[in-house]
Amino acid sequence: MNKLILFGISIIAVLVLLAVFAPFISPYNPQAIDVENILSPPNRVHILGTDSLGRDLFSRMLYGTRVSLEVGLVAVSVSLIIGVLLGSLAGYWGGRVDNLIMRFVDIMLCFPTFFLLLAMVAFLRATIFNIMLIIGLTSWMGIARLVRAEVLSIKEKDFVRYAKAMGAGNFKIISRHILPNALPPVLVAAVLGMGGAILTESALSFLGLGVQPPTASWGNILMEGKAVIDIGWWLTLFPGMAILVTVLGYNLLGEGLRK
Amino acid sequence: MRYPSLKLRRVIPRSLKQWFSKLAKGNEIFLTLSLFTSLFLLLFYPPSLYAQQNQQDRVGCYGDTIVVGSIGEPITLVPILAADSASQQIVGLVFNGLVKYDKDINLIGDLAEKWEISDDGLELTFYLRKGVKWQDEVLFKARDVLFTYQELIGPQTKTPYSGDFKKVKDFSIIDDYTIKISYAEPFAPALASWGMPIMPAHLLNSEEDFKKFSRQPIGTGPYKFIQWETGSRIVLEAYDDYWEGRPYIDRYIYCIIPDQSTLFLELRNRGLDYIGLTPLQYQRQTETEFFSRNFRKYKYPSFGYTYIGWNLNNPKFKDKRVRQAINYAIDKAELIKGVLLGLGKVCSGPFVPNSWAYDPEVKPAAYNPQKAEELLAVAGWNEKNKAGFLVKDNQQFEFTLLTNQGNEGRRKCAEIIQQRLKEVGIKVNIKIVEWGCFLDIIDKRRFEAVLLGWGLSRDPDCYDIFHSSKTRPKEFNFVSYKNEKVDKLLEQGRRVFSVGERKRFYHQIHRLIYADQPYTFLYVPDALPIINARFRGIEPSVNGIGYNFIKWWVAEEEQRYKLQE
Repeated sequence: MNKLILFGISIIAVLVLLAVFAPFISPYNPQAIDVENILSPPNRVHILGTDSLGRDLFSRMLYGTRVSLEVGLVAVSVSLIIGVLLGSLAGYWGGRVDNLIMRFVDIMLCFPTFFLLLAMVAFLRATIFNIMLIIGLTSWMGIARLVRAEVLSIKEKDFVRYAKAMGAGNFKIISRHILPNALPPVLVAAVLGMGGAILTESALSFLGLGVQPPTASWGNILMEGKAVIDIGWWLTLFPGMAILVTVLGYNLLGEGLRK
Repeated sequence: MRYPSLKLRRVIPRSLKQWFSKLAKGNEIFLTLSLFTSLFLLLFYPPSLYAQQNQQDRVGCYGDTIVVGSIGEPITLVPILAADSASQQIVGLVFNGLVKYDKDINLIGDLAEKWEISDDGLELTFYLRKGVKWQDEVLFKARDVLFTYQELIGPQTKTPYSGDFKKVKDFSIIDDYTIKISYAEPFAPALASWGMPIMPAHLLNSEEDFKKFSRQPIGTGPYKFIQWETGSRIVLEAYDDYWEGRPYIDRYIYCIIPDQSTLFLELRNRGLDYIGLTPLQYQRQTETEFFSRNFRKYKYPSFGYTYIGWNLNNPKFKDKRVRQAINYAIDKAELIKGVLLGLGKVCSGPFVPNSWAYDPEVKPAAYNPQKAEELLAVAGWNEKNKAGFLVKDNQQFEFTLLTNQGNEGRRKCAEIIQQRLKEVGIKVNIKIVEWGCFLDIIDKRRFEAVLLGWGLSRDPDCYDIFHSSKTRPKEFNFVSYKNEKVDKLLEQGRRVFSVGERKRFYHQIHRLIYADQPYTFLYVPDALPIINARFRGIEPSVNGIGYNFIKWWVAEEEQRYKLQE
């Protein structure tokens, strides 16, 4: 294990622990409004201060961690499923199937991703699950291409020919012989994708289109903080840092795995 | 081109062009039910008494531009259709009614020089001002008033204001400058209703004309319309031949920035001269030397209230007890503290607390969640599911609270309500939509509950909001409220003239509406305008500051923008 991996994993591990034990760690109910304590700066009672409705920022950030990690995980799983499926089909069969799928990928890549996202959010109800789904549905194209390229090169290898000669079915060849060998680069892409998905969720929430109140997410805390940036710096600094560190963690891990 | 093309010497800062990320929060937008004369009052309101010495010592000075920032974009500039405060604000500068309110809230002549009311109160004779010109140089005459009246009552005109004018029994033109209007029965708001802006008969012959007019109006007012860049700004320019005298300020630019924090930043960078502050901005963000040197702040109770309107056709809200329960479950004091930072008052009915129509005996319900739960149980909501929400007939008590984008206060208000209602077992989903879309949803009645505000006229008549006949599309009783007693009282209230007698009716209306809770009345916010200190001649009064806008001026050496031929 190199240092990058270690560093990345430790960041993510801490975050996962915080997310899992959020109910035990958080000193307050993240949705408890307290109008007597609006926008109090970090102090002993509220270690990260409170927001414009007097809710404890630390507690909200903790629960926000849950949202962010979930989004990363689910969105990337969705894009992995689609990407691996289409990529391996295209790579393995080649010809028309390949052409069809890859042109579809090209079309999807032509859309500016963010506008695609906004359009889909407008159609579906903005629940957390839908947001994760949408992010996954708009980010599988890279993985599909990667998988296709890997499959293309692997399927010419001797052990695949051997399996074919033994009379193994197509499905078995793909799942048993090709995919396991194509996986490492895909894994790297997936880990890097998690960071991306978290950023996308934050951006959507920042625009008010992502996670809806009263659920806290780093993005919507940031959005609220924007209006009071001159008198409530803690509302932008802490969630901003949290996003930065998390994405950094995933990227370090991804970079480490790549080597 | 009619007008020489004009260039601003000191062009408005670039950043003005970068606002249109339609993404976040802003000012109070009110749907406005009001006389047009009171129109600007929504944004230009009666300030606290700020020292304004030395300002009257000097004579006004022509020139300069005022850049007004707002989160709302007008929907239409056809005066009889304009129902939102943004539209009315522009309309109020471009048009005149026959009468208007002066600084002490007395009705005075506008396009009418004087008027007579017959002893029985059934006949109204207006003597119109002579020599008033439309901005295309055509003379204003009685036919314009007739035309406006006919449009208002036309069956195909979708205007929320027709009610007052359908009361007219006979409208006759005596000569070009005299008109006589008679009513079948006494109608108290009659005179005030003629504050409705008058439209030019000679310009509006077809549907096409109206369409064009809605984006390019021509009126008799102090400012003429120059340009409307959608989503960006509306430019007005002083009308040289205005009958009251040309306004001092050359240009009026209405900038649309659908985000309160961007508005505020733009004000601080001096790209804007005039905005309405949020309570947070008023109390915490403008308490600096920079602001006290460069701006003047005003504070006064606004003439309007914020409420939740329940769609009474929805089975969940049909039951009065449910609405009463919700009234108990919401802590208004908390809202005022949390949303307004104390800059507002509780309100228990459809009038502002300092109006004579408001019955001080109707005390706003104190926060009482137990009572709320009891009432809900009586109404059949007596079981809770695992998530802690009330259930009846296998249906969870859940509804969507709709409000408009751009209004930080409404969003916070919605979140507090969401939290409080959750405590009694009601799940609230908040939906925040863009203003135009919001009005559309209301017009089509596709909502369960709305969080909204009314800006009110000076007369307490709220026939258009609560009378059961006003439920058609585009009309204001969009919650479909129907109570025969209230209907009757609303009719009676408009039939008598003496305040003492009317008071009795309106106090009763207040009580009945409070008992029925078609709305959950929340609060009356303070209006918090801030204006660049270079503007002089602002004279706060009970009628706000907007009433003498044409007399505002800027000393030559302080002018920021110059027009160049």
